[in-house]
Amino acid sequence: MARRVAVVGGGISRFDLPRYELQEEMCAEAIHEMLMDTPGIDYPRDVDAVIYSYFSDHLEEQLCFHWIIHDYLGLLPKPAYRVESGGATPVDAIINAFMFIKSGIFNNVLVVGFEKMSELDTPKVNEFIAAASDTDFDFPVGGYYSGYYAALEVRHMFLYGETVEDLASIAVKNHNNATFNPYSQWRSQHGTSYIGVDEVLDSRLIAWPYRLLNCAMISDGAACIMLTNEENAKKYTDAPVWITGVGLGTDTMRPGDRVDNPMYKGLYLKDESIYPDVATKPAAPYPEMANFGSIRVSGDAAYKMAGIDNPLKQLDLAELFNPYDGVELVEYEDLRFCKRGEGKNLVREGVTEWGGELPCQVSGAHTAAGHPVGATSIAQAVQIYWQLTGLTAKKWGTKARALSDAKRGLLQGHGGTGCQSGVIIFEGG
Amino acid sequence: MAYRPRKILKSREYNREWNEWALKGNWSPVGWRWIEGPTGYRLDQLSKGNYLIIQRPHGSLYHHSYGLLSKFFKGFIEKKLYGAKCPRCKAVFCPPRAHCWNPECKVQRTEWVELPMKGEVFTFSVMAFSATPFLKTLPFIITYIRVEGCCTTLPTRILQVNPWEVYPGLKVNLHFIDNPKGEIMDIYCTPAEKPDPSKFIMSKEEIERLKEDMKKVKNWVIRKFGSEAQPSIEI
Ligand SMILES: [Zn+2]
Repeated sequence: MARRVAVVGGGISRFDLPRYELQEEMCAEAIHEMLMDTPGIDYPRDVDAVIYSYFSDHLEEQLCFHWIIHDYLGLLPKPAYRVESGGATPVDAIINAFMFIKSGIFNNVLVVGFEKMSELDTPKVNEFIAAASDTDFDFPVGGYYSGYYAALEVRHMFLYGETVEDLASIAVKNHNNATFNPYSQWRSQHGTSYIGVDEVLDSRLIAWPYRLLNCAMISDGAACIMLTNEENAKKYTDAPVWITGVGLGTDTMRPGDRVDNPMYKGLYLKDESIYPDVATKPAAPYPEMANFGSIRVSGDAAYKMAGIDNPLKQLDLAELFNPYDGVELVEYEDLRFCKRGEGKNLVREGVTEWGGELPCQVSGAHTAAGHPVGATSIAQAVQIYWQLTGLTAKKWGTKARALSDAKRGLLQGHGGTGCQSGVIIFEGG
Repeated sequence: MAYRPRKILKSREYNREWNEWALKGNWSPVGWRWIEGPTGYRLDQLSKGNYLIIQRPHGSLYHHSYGLLSKFFKGFIEKKLYGAKCPRCKAVFCPPRAHCWNPECKVQRTEWVELPMKGEVFTFSVMAFSATPFLKTLPFIITYIRVEGCCTTLPTRILQVNPWEVYPGLKVNLHFIDNPKGEIMDIYCTPAEKPDPSKFIMSKEEIERLKEDMKKVKNWVIRKFGSEAQPSIEI
């Protein structure tokens, strides 16, 4: 298992609502961009296999969409399949490609992700996304994903005391980052001016404590990333980025089942002990409904593989799965950037802002760059790749959000209400 | 030959007009637009494009079995709340599961027990927007209720309470609606005690903001749905 896996290129076709181009056309744009930046890849000959990432057959109004894309891109008769796991789809697709290469079965694997969510109105999109919750239990109550996540965040607020102002600060950070990102939906819809906490608190309430600017966008878009083995990586580029750790983890389908979960009981005793007296302790105090166990499990596995024991110090940037701002705050805890209950301190101290010790969501991510589900984490991976190879200034047309000398980045993605999570560690040469 | 009866024991038959509705549209375009819009993969490199957009509807009608949980939902029709109890680890599940998930229990089949119509709020959210099927009833409050003695929490709505008066730990009573249909929305809860202001999790400022939000949402629903609007929160 000494084989190393590298990222040698990536591309993004901008996120917006709507994009009028077809799914295969947006994918072609992303791949074309990647090939311009990494001209050494002899496309399509050098592609051994393709993993496709898209979430919803309902949204696309098409099953097996990847068959359309695969021949459109001139990739026949190469092996290909689709991965689907809700919001975790793109991170799982990259991990699939990683395992393909690690196993020695394929040398070069292309990952292509896309989503088109603009063909239905917003309540209908919410309905079809909510079909990824338990349709016999959670769905008919009408919470849909904004409500499920809001209820989880209310639980965390109740236990650990972060405020709506803390959540608004996260929104401000991510939206203002996205004003520099020429692939971002916020910049397309809003322009390049900054917002402040008041704009967030004045935006329309969606599901308390979440307001419009705390929530992921509905988006169209595509992205791709190319993974290769070590030998080929050196052929294609002088600056490969290595994948040094991956991890996967799971939690319950229904968030309400996390209270006394016997499978988590006793797994994280330290976190169980950080439990305030205001609440009756459930049988499994961590993660219960306040934190995300799947994210902890996937992060720990990736850290172990990559030899990371102090993520806050050893990481230079992180792109997290942030469908709602409280999720980002809780992820700081579950990914061990801080202790349980201290996520709010990182927000208040600016640790994850641009210029902070560990900038998170420099791209703007789900609430500001956009969230075409199957493409989102792939685009975030591409942004990490650009940061680690010093390409960001060129790709964004500005140095404003280009890190100098970044060595190690973390990508985290999950699906459902944290029903499954994946983490990937990227390291520059 | 295995035992394979398949007969209707009891039913409330659906209006067969739904069959017609499910055939509606049938993926055939009902309209089109020729539009001008942007094309380009990056915001700083856009040009003008033209696109043909069609409107294409299609409906569907699912015949869904509740499987081994059927007794739970049939219980709603009879206004009885059941949980599933594992005979090995004694855990009581509501929402129920027909097989225990405890690693020690090796996917043991559970048994039905009747549950008390009371419990407490584990967490909640105040919904000001939603998915298509639920828009008319905005604004409303969703809760996850731990039914007394259970190890899982049940998604329900809470009624007859101001949204800022709900908090984890609030004791509630469960009720069935008058005409249950065999779904989770047949059951709802109301406070079983006077909410304690010292336990509210919203600040005074946030409560005022929320009151304004509730008014706005209510007006929006009434504007959109007219007499069909059924807002679930009274301020
Ligand atoms: Zn058991």
